[in-house]
Amino acid sequence: MIEVQSLNHTFKIGKKGKEKKIEVLKNIDFHINQGEIIAIVGKSGSGKSTLLQVVAGFMKPDTGSVKVNNTEIAKFNEKQSAAFRLDHFGFIFQNFQLLPNQNVFENVELPLKLKGVQPSIRKHNVEKILEKVGLSHVADHYPNELSGGQQQRVSIARALITNPPIILADEPTGSLDSQTEIEILDLIKHLNKSANITFMIITHDEEVAQIAHRKLRMHDGLLLGDVKHVI
Amino acid sequence: MLFKDQLSFVFQHMRKNKLRVTMTVLAAMIGCAFLIVLASVGFGLQQTIKGEILNQESITEIGLWGDKALTEDDKIFIQEIEHVNVVLTRNEISGSIRSTFDDRDAESIGVAVDIKDQTKLPSTLSEGRLPENANEIAVGYHYAMRLLNETDQEIISQKSKEAQEQGSWYDGSEEGYKGDILNKQVELQFMDPETFEYLEQSTPFTIVGILDEPDYEFQIDNSILFSNDLFKAQPDLVSYPATTIYVDTLDNVMPVLDQLKENNYQVYSPIEQLKELDLFFLIFKIGLIFIGTISILIASIGIFNTMTMAVTERTREIGVLKAIGASPSIIQRLFLMESAFIGLLGTILAVIVSYGLSYVINAVLPSIVSFALSEDTPDMAGITFSTIPVSLVLLAGGISIFVAVLSGWRPARKATKIEVIQALRQEL
Repeated sequence: MIEVQSLNHTFKIGKKGKEKKIEVLKNIDFHINQGEIIAIVGKSGSGKSTLLQVVAGFMKPDTGSVKVNNTEIAKFNEKQSAAFRLDHFGFIFQNFQLLPNQNVFENVELPLKLKGVQPSIRKHNVEKILEKVGLSHVADHYPNELSGGQQQRVSIARALITNPPIILADEPTGSLDSQTEIEILDLIKHLNKSANITFMIITHDEEVAQIAHRKLRMHDGLLLGDVKHVI
Repeated sequence: MLFKDQLSFVFQHMRKNKLRVTMTVLAAMIGCAFLIVLASVGFGLQQTIKGEILNQESITEIGLWGDKALTEDDKIFIQEIEHVNVVLTRNEISGSIRSTFDDRDAESIGVAVDIKDQTKLPSTLSEGRLPENANEIAVGYHYAMRLLNETDQEIISQKSKEAQEQGSWYDGSEEGYKGDILNKQVELQFMDPETFEYLEQSTPFTIVGILDEPDYEFQIDNSILFSNDLFKAQPDLVSYPATTIYVDTLDNVMPVLDQLKENNYQVYSPIEQLKELDLFFLIFKIGLIFIGTISILIASIGIFNTMTMAVTERTREIGVLKAIGASPSIIQRLFLMESAFIGLLGTILAVIVSYGLSYVINAVLPSIVSFALSEDTPDMAGITFSTIPVSLVLLAGGISIFVAVLSGWRPARKATKIEVIQALRQEL
């Protein structure tokens, strides 16, 4: 499903001419199988978020290869990368990243609008997915009228609306209380089982990592190992 | 993304920033309205002056230079040119002609024409008919008014003096012969072409027609129109021929004129003035549009600021859109559409305001100009100071929307360059 090979990336910081290079990804190799939940764990600054951004196509790696379903995406231009994301990835962010001036329905509908889906089909699909995440009753509410857990459910609904095979989640429970965290993790497990969706979760929370089939630890840009465990 | 979704996305954001967008639309409107109204003055004055020329009856006439009468061959050649209706030679009689009627007399100029040719033209008579033999004449519209006796001359002289003291002039319209001059007999004395003194011998002529009133109020016509038969009765008279070629329609004047020039005839037409006039006004209007465009450019700074603010404020939103799969081109298009809408709204309002202003200008300005100059200024009511043709609306609208899109282009490009990661890190 996802095949990452010899991935290297360097950040340059400081003034021009006096730049300092920091290697954030050092020769990363891993793969994710279809229907797997993979957790990338590590401390802040270990390079786990950069890894997600490279896999998502938000940035290009210096060297290395990222293949999704045997398609090399590391060398895509911005347009190709955006089109690929729209078809293959769903995103869940720590801060939910909902548009504040659009209501729940409109936020979830957004990826379908970008795909050019007709309004009648959009309406049907959005209503169905909101029902699935238990938010039908707040469809016309705006994000600031919802709890953190509800906002993250909206974010999950938006990620699922295009039926992507892969969901990339960056600290999906980072802004939630422990009770809501359990609810969201249950939802992720349920979606993984029922729809066979692949999850790549970036987290520093060992609790979150517990739901993953495999846990990959990162430290100073290095992938330390594939720690396998069974849920 | 469907077009209607793009539209609704753009309108949603415009509604969200109503005040800022409204002020920018107003700036765009003022810029565009200034351009339209300024250029409309050029169009208005051109229309007025062109209209004045086109309203002249002589607009389908071609004049022939030279003091020699056309030969019969020339006349036949010209007559056979397509679209030529009539070739009329007017023979201006040398010196003036004195008319005597009872105790009144007047001095006039005389013109003799071939009556057959003259009758082919639209009637220039207000009463009666054209002279048909050597003893008949048609006279100018003011001929009777110019027949003065001694008492009239004294009164006119007195009134002229008074008018002069008040800074104006008196045209003698209240004096002269008040009766009906048609079918009356007058005695005419011609001048000796060598000494320019009136011959003692006078000849009786019957007035059979009165010519039309001249086009302009200030024109006084007391001329005498003879038939060419006059020269048979008065063979010693000297005359100067002036030939006019009458073309059927305005559109055919230029082709006929060109053909005559090719055959070495020295010809002229008021149409040629129109060509020069059009060129002059074209340059004039380009100048006005250029000045007007500067105001649109100033308004474009407002659009640039508004769009830059919009991009800055929506950085996080742009980041989210890009993250979930919006292509850079769709992001750029959304912002360009917003600036184009600001330009379009400004243009629509500007067109409405400009038509209103143009109406007010045409209603008020003639009276102000008349008042400012003097009471005796010829009637200004017919002058159009401002005209807004559709072409001007299209041109100004095109410039305005183009400049608006251009102003939004850089902020829109900036939006596409926003990095997803940086944008998503931005706080609300």
